[in-house]
Amino acid sequence: MSNKTALPMGLGRTPALLLLVLASLVALPLILPSATLATEILIFALAALACNLLLGYTGLLSFGQGIFFGVGAYGAALLMIHLKWGMLGALFGAAVFGAFLALLVGALAIRRTGIYFVMLTLAFSQMAYFLAYTLSGWTGGDNGLLDVPRPNIEIAGHVLVDLADPRHFYVFVAVLFLLIFAGALRVIRSPFGSTLLAIRENETRAAAIGYDTRHFKILVFMLSGAITGIAGALYAMLLHFAPLSNIDLMMSENILIMTIVGGTGSLFGSLLGAGAIVVLGDVLSELWPRWLMLLGAILILVVVFMRGGLWGGLAALGKRLLASRTADDKAPAKTKETL
Amino acid sequence: MLDLYLFQLLNGLGLGMIYFLIAVGLTIIFGLLNFVNFAHGAFFLLGAYLCYTAVAITGNFWLALLIAPLAVAALAWAVERLLIKRIYHLPHTFQILVTLGIALIIQEASVLIWGPVGKNIAVPPELRGVLILGDFIYPYYRLFLIGFAALIGLGLWLLLERTRFGALVRAGSESTETVSLLGTNIFRLFSLTFALGVGLAGVAGVLFAPLRGAQPFVGPEILGIAFVVVVIGGMGSFGGALVGGLLVGVVQSMMSSLWPQGASLMIYGAMAAVILVRPYGLFGRA
Repeated sequence: MSNKTALPMGLGRTPALLLLVLASLVALPLILPSATLATEILIFALAALACNLLLGYTGLLSFGQGIFFGVGAYGAALLMIHLKWGMLGALFGAAVFGAFLALLVGALAIRRTGIYFVMLTLAFSQMAYFLAYTLSGWTGGDNGLLDVPRPNIEIAGHVLVDLADPRHFYVFVAVLFLLIFAGALRVIRSPFGSTLLAIRENETRAAAIGYDTRHFKILVFMLSGAITGIAGALYAMLLHFAPLSNIDLMMSENILIMTIVGGTGSLFGSLLGAGAIVVLGDVLSELWPRWLMLLGAILILVVVFMRGGLWGGLAALGKRLLASRTADDKAPAKTKETL
Repeated sequence: MLDLYLFQLLNGLGLGMIYFLIAVGLTIIFGLLNFVNFAHGAFFLLGAYLCYTAVAITGNFWLALLIAPLAVAALAWAVERLLIKRIYHLPHTFQILVTLGIALIIQEASVLIWGPVGKNIAVPPELRGVLILGDFIYPYYRLFLIGFAALIGLGLWLLLERTRFGALVRAGSESTETVSLLGTNIFRLFSLTFALGVGLAGVAGVLFAPLRGAQPFVGPEILGIAFVVVVIGGMGSFGGALVGGLLVGVVQSMMSSLWPQGASLMIYGAMAAVILVRPYGLFGRA
C-alpha cells in the first residue's frame, strides 16, 4: 500500500501537495480566458474529489453523485430564495442535504455490495431525477429553478466580500476548495482513511478483522454527499440557475469520468480531470454538439491504456525525470542506461 | 372503469414483456461474463433506430424485426471481439466503465445519424386494427407484442435449457474455468453470449418502436428500468427477470392512469420497497 501511494518529488507529503494545489489555484485564472470557467473547474473538481473518496479510496463505484449535486443545488437555492439564508448558511444547508440524501441512498444501496451497489446507485439516480421532475413546484421541473441568488458574505449588514464580481467569487471558491482538499487529505491519511483502503483492497478481510465495513462505507458516502452537495450549491450560484440536468444521470457520469480521467485514488488528479473535461467541453460544445462521443472514447482509452489517469501519467513521467536527474548527480555514467 | 384497468393491465403486460427481454439479456451476459453491460440501453436504442431505417428502406416491418436485432447482435459481437475481450482481466469496475464509454458513443452516433428529434415508426398494416369484445377495445399490435415476446422468451428458455450451447452458458455461469479446462473455447462462448444478450435488447427496441418511436436519449432510462427489474427479480435468474419485468411494467402502466407524472417514480419506489424487505431480490441467491 505504501508503494502505491508513494509519489515522486515528495508529492506524497501533505505540505508539498497542498503547495501544488495552491499554485494551481493561482495559475488557473491566469491561464484561462475567464474567471467563470476557472470557477466551474473548481466546482467540478470538488465533485470529482468527493467521487474519488468513494471510487479511489473505498472502491465504491457510484452512479449517484448527480443526486447529491442536484440536491445541493436545489437545496441551497430554496434556502436562499424562500428563507433568505446567506452564503455560508446556504452552503452548510447544501452539505447537510447532500449528506442526508447520501445516508438515505447509502442505507439502501450499501445493503448490497459489488455489482448490485453500482446498479442501485444508478437506479436511485434515475429516481431522484424523476422526483425532481415531479416536484416541479419546488424545482421548476423541466425549466429549472430560476433566479438563484449569489449572496455576499456579510457580518451584521456590512458586506465583507462582494461576490457579484466573478473574480471575487473565484477566490471564494478557491479558498473553499483548498480547505476541503486539505480536509479530505486529512481524512484519507487518518486511521479512518486506512480503514477505507482496507475495505477497497479486501472488504471480507476488513470485516474479518472486526471493522463494521457498512458503517465505514455509509460514513464515507455521507462525506462524499456533503462535499458534492456544496459543489452543486456553488454551481447553482455560479449560473444563477439550477437546471434539471444537475440531477440527471449524465451529471453522475460526468463526475465519474472526470474522476477517472484525472486519476482514481489521487485527490489532485480530480482537479486535473475536472480541468481537462471542463475545458474540453467548453471548447468543443460550441464547435461540435456531439462531443460527448469523444468523452466516451476518452473514457475507454483511459481505462484500456492509462488506468492511473492524468495524474498517474504525470507521476510516471516525473518519476522517470527524477530518476534520470538523481542518476546524473550521483553516477553520471549510469545515465545512459536508465534513459 | 374496470375496462380501463384491464386495458392498463394488458398494456402493462406488454411493456413488462419488453422489460423482460431487456433484463434477461443483461442477466445472461452478467451470468457468464460477470460484468454488467452499461451499454445495454444504448443497444436497445440502436435496435429502435435500425428498425426505423429498415422500415424506411424495405417498407416492411417484419423484415426490420429480423434485420435490426441481427445487426445489433453483430455489432455487439464485433465490440466484444475488438474491445471488451481486452479487459476481461481487469476488475469489474473497469469493464463497467468501458461499456459506459460505448453507451455514450452509440447514443451520440445515433443523434449524429438520425438527428436529435425522435423518429416515429408505424404499426405494421397487418396489426393496425383493434380487437372488439363487447365494450372492450384493444389494439392488435399490443396483443401481438405480448405473444411475440412470450415466444422469444420461450425460445430463449429452450435454447438455454435444451441445447448444448445453453448447457455451456449455464455451466460457464457456475465456473468459466472448469468449462474452459474441459476443452471449450470460452472466448467464443463469451462473444456469442454477449451478442445474444445484446440482440435481445435489440429485439426489445424494435418491438418498442411502434409504441413510442425511436427517441435518442431513452438509453439511460431503459438501463435504469432494466436494473430495477434485475434488482427486484435477482440477477442471473430467468424467472426473476420475467416476474420483475412484468411487475415493473404493470406498476408503471397502472400508475400512468392514476398519477401520470409519478409513473416512472413509482417503479423506483417499488424497487426500494423490495430491497428493504428482501435485499437479494425476490428470486436472488445470497
